[in-house]
Amino acid sequence: MRRFELLEPESFTAASAALLEHPEAKAIAGGTALLILIKHGVYIPELLVNLRKIPGMADITWDAATGLRIGALASINDVERSPLVREHLPMLAEACHVVANIRIRNLATIGGNVAHGDYQSDPPTALVALGAVVELTTATGSRDLPLADFLLGAYETALEPGELVSAVRVPPPGAGWRSAYLKFTTRSSEDRPAVGVATLLQLDGGTVREARLVVGAVTVTPSRMTEVEAYLGGRTLDAGTLAQVGRMVAARIEPIDDIRGSAAYKRRLAGVQAERALELCSTMGAAR
Amino acid sequence: MKRLISTTINGRERELAVAPNRTLLEVLREDLQLTGAVEGCGVGQCGSCTVLVDGRPVSSCLTLATNVEGRSVTTIEGVAPAGQLSAVQQAFINRQAFQCGFCTPGMIMAVEGLLRDEPGAGEAQIRDYLSGNLCRCGTYSAVIDAVKDVIAEVGAARDRASAG
Repeated sequence: MRRFELLEPESFTAASAALLEHPEAKAIAGGTALLILIKHGVYIPELLVNLRKIPGMADITWDAATGLRIGALASINDVERSPLVREHLPMLAEACHVVANIRIRNLATIGGNVAHGDYQSDPPTALVALGAVVELTTATGSRDLPLADFLLGAYETALEPGELVSAVRVPPPGAGWRSAYLKFTTRSSEDRPAVGVATLLQLDGGTVREARLVVGAVTVTPSRMTEVEAYLGGRTLDAGTLAQVGRMVAARIEPIDDIRGSAAYKRRLAGVQAERALELCSTMGAAR
Repeated sequence: MKRLISTTINGRERELAVAPNRTLLEVLREDLQLTGAVEGCGVGQCGSCTVLVDGRPVSSCLTLATNVEGRSVTTIEGVAPAGQLSAVQQAFINRQAFQCGFCTPGMIMAVEGLLRDEPGAGEAQIRDYLSGNLCRCGTYSAVIDAVKDVIAEVGAARDRASAG
């Protein structure tokens, strides 16, 4: 790889100061995204700020009132295997399990995943559906931002100079929700998603009391389908309802072309996958 | 500027001077002459450079060498004492689970990780866990058979131990 220097600060204060002093520098965690950009010459750094020595950055904790807090440096595999995540937010474990391969899941971190802002990724779709909040920290304090507002576009986020993603938090999901994350790949089983659908349902017998539906990896940020959610309220998930959901998603989503499929293909795919995800969620979705 | 890190490689404590831009794979191959892990794609997709860090499989081509400070690295050279084979290596030979052999060290290291994470894995779990280790000779089915052999062996040994 090209030469660069590396700072390894032991506190947020020092890391934030280093990033403010060197505006071209980037923070590095697992490195699975950044090192590929460097190897391909897309990003040519003089300095990277490695976060690995900041204590407590990989902790995963649960609080009944505030929910789950995942330290930014927890690996994708840490999140997937966390008993707290599996118990309280099984959909997040599912979405982490289908990321790339085991080696990448052991290196890549949840903080790096959201900070990279890559739309072709599984966890952000699930996290947006779960109402996740990103905790952003500087030398002087921290602020919270809903992930849906943090992600601005392809590889674009609301991160301010000197800010670091210190944690991802997910509010307690409440009782009676079922959830499912459904990934579809077009090239190989461990590829990035061509489309990912995250769905949550609160069912009253066979009737939908409340629904949440987020389609990811086809638009530059995950797309929450609020009109579809409203449509689902009070309906039974029969074939007619599901078909209408598919039509509504396909009509409303504005996909972009990429190497995983044309916009036209992804429009149809998103509709079909939304139907399948809802069916999966209602029949086999992880309950809590 | 190079920095000094202490780390454990295949059970031996080492002090290494590494430049910030060096990957773990480069340090293993070029500085330590541990050439079992090989570079295939260089971007984490093929699995040929798989090593264990604290028992977990990682792509050494995407690991900054400085990140293994204070941690324990196991490469294919460290899975069994010199002159001996690990159970996984022996199972690969029994099943002829390779042709050209380029992917084999990475494949075996991934299996070592699987045995630690999912010691009783069934076929679906084995396939899922190894889905990111590519073999262009197409020995996948023999690899799955070898892994099933090892898991059956480990299970049988456990049964014998609990019966005894």
